[in-house]
Amino acid sequence: MLVIGIRVNDGVILAAQKLLDSKLLVPGTAKRILSADMHASAGLRADGKHLQTRAREECKNYRDNYMSPIPLKQLSDRLGSYLNAYTLYSSVRPFGISTVISSYDKNGPQLYAIEPSGLYWGYQATAVGKGKQLAQTELEKLKLNELSMRQAVFEAARIIHLVHDPTKDKGFELELSWIGKDSQFKHAHVPAQLYQEANEYGKSQAESGRMQE
Amino acid sequence: MAMTNNFTSWGRPFTDAKMDMYGGDITQRYQLGSEHLQQHSDKFADAVQKTQQPIVTGTSVIGLKYKDGIMLAADNLASYGSLARFKDIQRLHSVGSHTIIGAAGDMSDFQHVQHQLESLVIDEYCHDDGHALGPAQIYEYMSTLMYHRRSQLNPLWNAFVVGGVDPKSGEPTLAYVDLLGTTYSAPTIGTGYASMIAIPLLRRLVEDRKEPPNEEEALDIIKTCMKVLFYRDARSLNKFQVAKITKEGAEISPSMSVETEWGFAEGIRGYGGQTQ
Amino acid sequence: MVFRNSYDSDNTVFSPQGRLHQVEYALEAVRQGSAAVGLRSKTHAILLTLKRSTGELASYQQKAFKIDDHLGIAIAGLTSDARVLSNYMRNQAMSSRLLYGRPIPVNRIVTQIAEKAQLATQQYGRRPYGVGFLVIGQDETGPHLHEFSPDGNAFEYVAMSIGARSQMAKTYLEKEHEQFADSDLNTLIHHGLQSLKASLQQSKTLTPQNTSIAIVGPPGPNEQGVKSEGSFRILEGDHITPYIDALGQQQQQQQQQQQQQEQQTAADVTMNE
Repeated sequence: MLVIGIRVNDGVILAAQKLLDSKLLVPGTAKRILSADMHASAGLRADGKHLQTRAREECKNYRDNYMSPIPLKQLSDRLGSYLNAYTLYSSVRPFGISTVISSYDKNGPQLYAIEPSGLYWGYQATAVGKGKQLAQTELEKLKLNELSMRQAVFEAARIIHLVHDPTKDKGFELELSWIGKDSQFKHAHVPAQLYQEANEYGKSQAESGRMQE
Repeated sequence: MAMTNNFTSWGRPFTDAKMDMYGGDITQRYQLGSEHLQQHSDKFADAVQKTQQPIVTGTSVIGLKYKDGIMLAADNLASYGSLARFKDIQRLHSVGSHTIIGAAGDMSDFQHVQHQLESLVIDEYCHDDGHALGPAQIYEYMSTLMYHRRSQLNPLWNAFVVGGVDPKSGEPTLAYVDLLGTTYSAPTIGTGYASMIAIPLLRRLVEDRKEPPNEEEALDIIKTCMKVLFYRDARSLNKFQVAKITKEGAEISPSMSVETEWGFAEGIRGYGGQTQ
Repeated sequence: MVFRNSYDSDNTVFSPQGRLHQVEYALEAVRQGSAAVGLRSKTHAILLTLKRSTGELASYQQKAFKIDDHLGIAIAGLTSDARVLSNYMRNQAMSSRLLYGRPIPVNRIVTQIAEKAQLATQQYGRRPYGVGFLVIGQDETGPHLHEFSPDGNAFEYVAMSIGARSQMAKTYLEKEHEQFADSDLNTLIHHGLQSLKASLQQSKTLTPQNTSIAIVGPPGPNEQGVKSEGSFRILEGDHITPYIDALGQQQQQQQQQQQQQEQQTAADVTMNE
């Protein structure tokens, strides 16, 4: 399942493709984009939930010690060490997840991705999960410094839809979250209205893209 | 009587005399730097002691229920003994979107509680599932916390007023919890000096009327009480904030003050025996 | 010792396909358990379970358990593992009431056991839980139905089935699920029983003895002494007779028998000719 992150001047957008394993699932539940603080978030699920809990603890721990929100670089480092520890011992198995985390901290908008090994890098834009090559190609075409947060939401929706092949893949639910100027610097799922517009846009763009092929 | 919970002794001055200016025996109360005054003789002389007194203190908080919700007020003073040490501290703190707590007593303990509640609110935010802690839940949490701490013989030296309106049901909450874990809920609440000086006023102005006051009337009542408290409470300040919580949300006002009259009693009518 | 797969003796080792065999065996334990079905409408969430008995002289194994006033579960798999988890759930539910004076939100308690189960898939010296739950409850956001499974996942559904032959029940639910939201309690129970019946072996029928129904939501017309908020309750025996009778199993069976007889006679006739 694909997760992408896009960093623009005013904030960061996360988008996830949540494949639907059953048509009995209640829409809008079992989210794959999770909050770890008012300002950070984790993307890719049971192991993901575990990592969210850890991320939440790290954020809390930092706040308890320093009375301020944790800079994303530090959170990435702490989570990287945690993931790495799970590769070092025979008594545990590594995490089966890649994670994209976003934040808007004192250094502006931040986007990092952490591998199961514990390695992590900062990004302008990144994709993890199934279909990341295609997504990355699309991300590289974007002029990230010129996009508004709103525009980036539309682009993110378009890419998720583009990578999904409705003839081969299961149905999916799109998730979109943002943090930055437009979200009062809190990490939140995008408002319903914007979500709908972006989702429709993404769907139609992806369809017309396929038609041309 | 080493661990007093009597709020009249909060915010009293340190002195090096055995007796303080109010006639209290300070060797029984103050531990800091006064070890030489202590006469330990019993078996518990070497026992571990936790907080024995508040240090930097805030005075009363008042609260009332009005037509649209809850209104709270507290002044901006933090005293160090009888010294008016900080005149710009805020003693009203919002928790989530529909709850405000007002704190009397030790200000550092209050800051600790604020930090803890902040953490709680973030936890709640991260669940991202449409559930939020309303005033009733936050009050329950505060009561459990305060009772727990006093049962550890390590109380948070405060009296808190929790005010709020549940965003879904519209149910108002106005309740009190203090360092002993004592809890109660009422249409008008005052801590410390206000429980003696403002409560009779509040009861007459709020509870004795047929209809609950509207917002404007409620603010007038609050101002009246803050004025009287400023007149009578030597640890108070004529600079205070008012919080109102309605179904729409919570809001803390900028600092305000009231007109006071400090002229000679000679010119004042309707006071004491002098009625004409 | 014979292993079914390599890479399966230890839950801290991935198979080269990126799978965790021990976890998959745990899911198998759930599939061996007797079936349970759950459904949700706008007002109610219900569970229907098929109880097993080991013999004529044995009682039926309880399958549905109350966790709190607003919350309960149905289990499939190892009952003893279910007790450990339900004990934990009761503790969590109590602490939510104690600390916040709030009945624990349903999704949160499910997430909590899922997190516990996830740990057992990642650490040496532990085995995954061998039990799956259907959890129903009501909170500020209405009635809910969740599935918990030993792989550490928990999802919310409008209807779901777990346990032996539950695929049949699921097929029924997938076909009918759009009606559930607006169903009244009796209709919802009827759908649930239909679904549960679909999971039965040909020779078996639902009886007041082998079936139990758990409900959260306002009382239905057949219920007495249930408060209007409708806290979690388990109906068994005589209390569910009306629902079971409404299925018309006897008639169906009779019809089937009749059909069979007719076919038989028809066959006889053909033979005679």
